[in-house]
Amino acid sequence: MKEDTLQNSIEEKLSEDLSACMKCHLCNLFCPLVDTRVTQGSYGINRSIYYGIKWNEFSESLRDLVYSCTTCGKCEVMCTKVSRALSLRELIEKTREYLLVEKMVGPMPDQTAVLKNMHVRGNPWGNPSHERTKWASGLDIPFASQDNKVEVLYFVGCASSYDPYGQKISKSLSRILKQADVNFGILENEVCSGHEARRMGENGLGDYLAENNMAMFKEADIRHIVTGDPHSFYTFKKEYPGGGNGLKVQHYTQFLNDILDQGKLELSTRIDKTVTYHDPCYLGRHSDVFDDPRKLIARIPGLTFKEIENNKKLSDCCGMGGGRMWMEPPERLTSSQTISERRVQQALDTGAEILLTACPFCNITLTDAVKSMGKEDAIEVMDITALVEMAL
Amino acid sequence: MVGEEYVYEDLFERINYADTLLPYDVEKEFLPDVVIQPGTAQEVSKVLAYATKHDVPVTTYGSGTDLVFPTKPKHRGITMSTERMDSLEINEEYQYLECGPGLKTGKAIKALGKLGYFLPIQTQAGSSIGGAVSINTIGHLADNIFGRPVHNVLGLEVVLPTGEIIETGSKCLRRSAGWDLGRIFIGSEGMLGVITKVRMTLMPMPETIDAVGFFKTDEEVGHVMTRMYQKKLPLPMDGEFVGTKACKLGCDAYGLDFPEGAMAVIKAMGRTKEEAVRNAQEVVDLFKSEGATEAFVIEDPETAEKVWAVRENVMRWGQEKNKKGGKAIEVNPVLPLMADAIKSLERITEGRTDLIAEAEAYLYGHVGSGSLHCYLTYPYGWPAEKMKQFVDAIWNVEKELQLKYGGIGGDWGWFPHRLPLYRETYGETSYAIIKNLKGLFDPSNILNRGNLEGEV
Repeated sequence: MKEDTLQNSIEEKLSEDLSACMKCHLCNLFCPLVDTRVTQGSYGINRSIYYGIKWNEFSESLRDLVYSCTTCGKCEVMCTKVSRALSLRELIEKTREYLLVEKMVGPMPDQTAVLKNMHVRGNPWGNPSHERTKWASGLDIPFASQDNKVEVLYFVGCASSYDPYGQKISKSLSRILKQADVNFGILENEVCSGHEARRMGENGLGDYLAENNMAMFKEADIRHIVTGDPHSFYTFKKEYPGGGNGLKVQHYTQFLNDILDQGKLELSTRIDKTVTYHDPCYLGRHSDVFDDPRKLIARIPGLTFKEIENNKKLSDCCGMGGGRMWMEPPERLTSSQTISERRVQQALDTGAEILLTACPFCNITLTDAVKSMGKEDAIEVMDITALVEMAL
Repeated sequence: MVGEEYVYEDLFERINYADTLLPYDVEKEFLPDVVIQPGTAQEVSKVLAYATKHDVPVTTYGSGTDLVFPTKPKHRGITMSTERMDSLEINEEYQYLECGPGLKTGKAIKALGKLGYFLPIQTQAGSSIGGAVSINTIGHLADNIFGRPVHNVLGLEVVLPTGEIIETGSKCLRRSAGWDLGRIFIGSEGMLGVITKVRMTLMPMPETIDAVGFFKTDEEVGHVMTRMYQKKLPLPMDGEFVGTKACKLGCDAYGLDFPEGAMAVIKAMGRTKEEAVRNAQEVVDLFKSEGATEAFVIEDPETAEKVWAVRENVMRWGQEKNKKGGKAIEVNPVLPLMADAIKSLERITEGRTDLIAEAEAYLYGHVGSGSLHCYLTYPYGWPAEKMKQFVDAIWNVEKELQLKYGGIGGDWGWFPHRLPLYRETYGETSYAIIKNLKGLFDPSNILNRGNLEGEV
């Protein structure tokens, strides 16, 4: 009976919030999922949730729609500007949790193993935990601990720990930090920040992973975290208990600007290239970090910067957020490849030779899109760290 | 006929193609049996021929951004979406654009803008060109400057309900002075055929600049806009009005220190920036001479953004009084009665015994094009039945006001709910003619069945 009441109250809350929708369709204007059908976009998803609850229809078809959202949040920008300012992303995430926990139709089939991997091995791919720091071999990076206190903890994140593209970021950033004589270290037993578990509706797992990391932060007396992963950055600041309980959390673009300001680092090698920059959703729109990446890019001598069509608050998603990294929606819904290729095309339209970003997920996705479009000769995807290191 | 992958039987697809902007939910009995997305005129033709042969109702769907419910299937059947037919060709040599009906106006505006052209349909960016042409709407633009699609469309490709594909018009810029079958389809709300291609004339992109005037009363805005026409001033592209009550809400929401009262904001245009500024200044001078407490040409983009934000705040009006949402009335007064109509709208809730008495009313509108709105907001918690009564009451009062002030409107795909207004304004003979016309094109009455009959 108590369970029924809880279930009803979640449904009531979702219904009430969604009934405030004016059905103006304006959210769909910005949704990266809209290809040719209204149902593919933010509007169609939120209406489907509303009627799903109203008519007690919690099918796999509803699940597919709800999990197709990249959680980029661009719909909210439009809703806030000219409509009812609904928290559309939050409503979709709440529904995911509801489908997963109460209705047992979530997550997407491919994501079940991913969540299990996060729980058992601390990373979504299920790679061995002991291989997490393998990327760092030869770089002489200390492990932060109670006995080896560091001023800055570099929180690497899963993608930059295991994925070959991501590892380029962790290696570059580490070498930059070393060059600047930053007293930093990494965690020997770092686990997933839990960000993507929450995006898939598994908040319980998100809490569990947060507790693990928080315990390690506490034990090593960590006060200052720098990360290259916007997803971890976001979840530390906005979803960890107490916003990380007083931890100073910075994305590396912020930290590198600080140490450049302090004269600890100098960028003196000229790089004569034309570049553009893709704002990652969780660094830009969700965390309001727009200027630091651009400031850092501007400090690299020789670069010509061309702003991409949709930028800053209106940046388009790379297509892999919200748990889509580990699933592909059914064919009737917009593929991740379509979304990422659309973004690469915008970068190509700027005439840039390099598409810069500051997120391992975006890096992986956009690199793949460049390949699938056969545009390797026209444009290269790089993390900003790569150019910073070249400019040292 | 259209390929299996473009046939959708899923419940949520059917819901999303049946739900409308009406403030109550769609009922299960009004869901289409199937949603299809043909990609070519030939595919549309096969479906319509089949539907006519087997008496299957077909509801046409552009983007679903109409503000009423022409896309709600009244008799189930097939909902035919034109979204896949979204091609665009801009032919600068011939000076036309040719597009599929599913092309979104936003995409067209962007593509044309890159080449220095202007789309004379400024409906919301997610709306479809086919839908706009079917309704014959141009959004907020002034008819006197831009005309409507019926004036700017050079030709159409249309699939008749019986399956024949016809072409109207030509590629030349000179339109037919005599019979032009294409005009019959424009504004007929998808009831006579399915438009599968639209050819429109290109228009050069004008330079624009905004100007604003603040007035002590709402009626003064009506007066000044009437004077703008009568004094033969260069008409602006957009002439928007936000009433005193709504203006205050917008200013409070964005922390703006604008004078109290009603606001008129215009987007002046010219061939050059200098001409646009000069034209804006003429309107500002008029505003001042007609009693504006403050009026100026907006030089900086930041102020322009703030001014338009006050206008764009419309869907949040009423929230300060815990109203759930709103429904707007459309009144299009004849020019000399603009101020009187505003006065009537200000008092719309007074002395009423229906549900409108319980609403909170906010005035705004596109005074530059002679269109006024009153946004009536309703409280949280009204059940669907009460909501329907409320909407009925709104349509009744809208009819009263349109008849009183000489308007007929129609920018929202209006026929089903405004049938009583149509009949009263134009008479039974006129209604019988369009019914006969419908029968001529669509003998089995498959297309948008129920709309011409006024089923809501």
